Amino acid sequence: MNIFVTLAINGLAQGALLFLLASGLSIILGLMGVVNFTHGTLFIWGGYVYIWVYTLTESFVFAILAAVVVTFIMGMFFERFFVSRVYGNVPAQILITLGLQVIFTELVRVIWGATPLSIGRPDFLAGAWDIGGVVIVHYRIFLIAVGLFIAVGIHLLLNKTKIGMIVRAGVQRPDMVRALGININTYFTMVFAGGAALAGLAGALYAPLVGSMTSTAGMHNQVLAFIVVVVGGMGSFIGSAGGSVLLGLMGSGVAWFAPGLATVANVGLMAIVLAFKPSGLFGLAVKK
Amino acid sequence: MILKKDISKRMMIFLGILLIALVILPHVSTLSTTTLFSRIFIMAIYAMSYDILRGYMGFINLGHALFFGSGAYIVGILFNNIGNTVPMFLVAIVITLIYSSIAALIMGKIVFRSKGGGAASVVAGAMTTLALGEIVRHTAERWRDVTMGADGLSFRIPPVFADRTMFYYYALIFLIVMTLILRQFINSPTGRVLMSIRENEQRAEFLGFDTEKYKLIGLQVSGIASGFSGVMFGVMNRFVNTELLTVQQTLNALLITLVGGTGTLYGAIIGSGFVNIVQSQLLNFRRVHPIFERWLLFFGAMYVIVVIFMPKGFMGLYYSITDKRKSKLQNQTIKETSGKTS
Repeated sequence: MNIFVTLAINGLAQGALLFLLASGLSIILGLMGVVNFTHGTLFIWGGYVYIWVYTLTESFVFAILAAVVVTFIMGMFFERFFVSRVYGNVPAQILITLGLQVIFTELVRVIWGATPLSIGRPDFLAGAWDIGGVVIVHYRIFLIAVGLFIAVGIHLLLNKTKIGMIVRAGVQRPDMVRALGININTYFTMVFAGGAALAGLAGALYAPLVGSMTSTAGMHNQVLAFIVVVVGGMGSFIGSAGGSVLLGLMGSGVAWFAPGLATVANVGLMAIVLAFKPSGLFGLAVKK
Repeated sequence: MILKKDISKRMMIFLGILLIALVILPHVSTLSTTTLFSRIFIMAIYAMSYDILRGYMGFINLGHALFFGSGAYIVGILFNNIGNTVPMFLVAIVITLIYSSIAALIMGKIVFRSKGGGAASVVAGAMTTLALGEIVRHTAERWRDVTMGADGLSFRIPPVFADRTMFYYYALIFLIVMTLILRQFINSPTGRVLMSIRENEQRAEFLGFDTEKYKLIGLQVSGIASGFSGVMFGVMNRFVNTELLTVQQTLNALLITLVGGTGTLYGAIIGSGFVNIVQSQLLNFRRVHPIFERWLLFFGAMYVIVVIFMPKGFMGLYYSITDKRKSKLQNQTIKETSGKTS
């Protein structure tokens, strides 16, 4: 029984990280129809900036902030100069974001080297509780809390503010929003940069969890995030939340009972969802 | 998109001269140049197989390397475990054929489920194939008894293939034969249906074509061609590792077709020559500055530049020039004739 509690907590923590990656991806896909392959590289940039600043300043909060700010600026740069040139052309978007992903992942290797950088958890999150034989790692609880906080935050932002209203309207009918005199391009940039910052945050939080950061972690996590988006339904915020939790729980379960099958299980789930409900488990009934 | 069925006389002469030059080349060049060209020929077929998907079917396959890498692994494993003989090479070809068609069938059955085209299906297809490629790579990494995992598998090859100059000719013959076969495929009625699916899948379906079946055939042909080029690549390097199964390897094919021009088939040959020569030249520059060792930086930059500034590649450029010349000629003759009548 104990093992199930531990696995559930592991899964939820993993799900929280996935959610940070996938929610940005999903909203970008929903609003702009952009398949963003730079998310993986933003993820590792977040992680590396975090490690860099943390070893310099020893401040957890400051390091997280630095990672978020750097990836936010990178997101703005990507959108303004590259992605905005190829709106409406899906293959070109995939190609251009793949190119950026290759460049910036290689830059990480140039700046920080190809070997993994190791990093410890900050002191106040390093411990673990032992409740009746169940070991609960503080950091995982922290991740779940952050995930919930961000989820509620995005939910409120999307549903209770004017910005959120415009973004939601943009997901459904971008041309109509434009016709109402709203400069949707600014929103495009902001949403793209916001998604990038969330990916950076995920990378920054991932590094202390695993204890190290490598330049190959980006692609792996990006594939997982894409699977979440497909499973949850593209452009659906609830979908990426639900999909992340589902994939996180399944991942920790599979990792415990059949470690070799992790990727197969994820792809299998995606294949089943695509076969029976192509719009995703929580897909919006909107056709674009 | 662009399809010249009959090759003009001038083109024939040009191709003939090119062929003679390529036949003489290994006798006048260094060994490294010969190997570079063998690599160009093999990568050209790999990229051509990709162009059938990307250019003729409009399908972005991010797991295409699984065919290529598996072909290389199949020949390596056979040579290593059973014996490095020529019959074993033929067995490897047959196994690659069977493996690739089954793998393509499975991939197609999963990917082509979501019908209707549009952005959503392109995206879902790209992601699914990416994940499928990752599965194969993981398997190769984990299955250490046979594949030697991440260390890679080095093997001996039959003496017939050992000579670099002779192998150059095999690679050249391989390129010519495969180009003719793939050209035939593209010009066949099946190839035409594939193009109609790319242009408008719904309409092709209304015309009574079982589009899923045609897409499956296209994917299988492409997978088999890619597997064959993998076999040749493995024999050339006498070494296989999981690098050949990574997304990076798929992106190589994507870049080559992009640079050469998608949907042109021959663009893959030009693209392969360009990309491979640039790559080896950049590596020569590394004594000037270590930044030139970072091939991937230039690789990524080439991607972005091509997508923004040259979306149709070299072949697109060539066709636009010839088309302009033709229309100019037409305009001139029209002017001349109208001048005479008035």
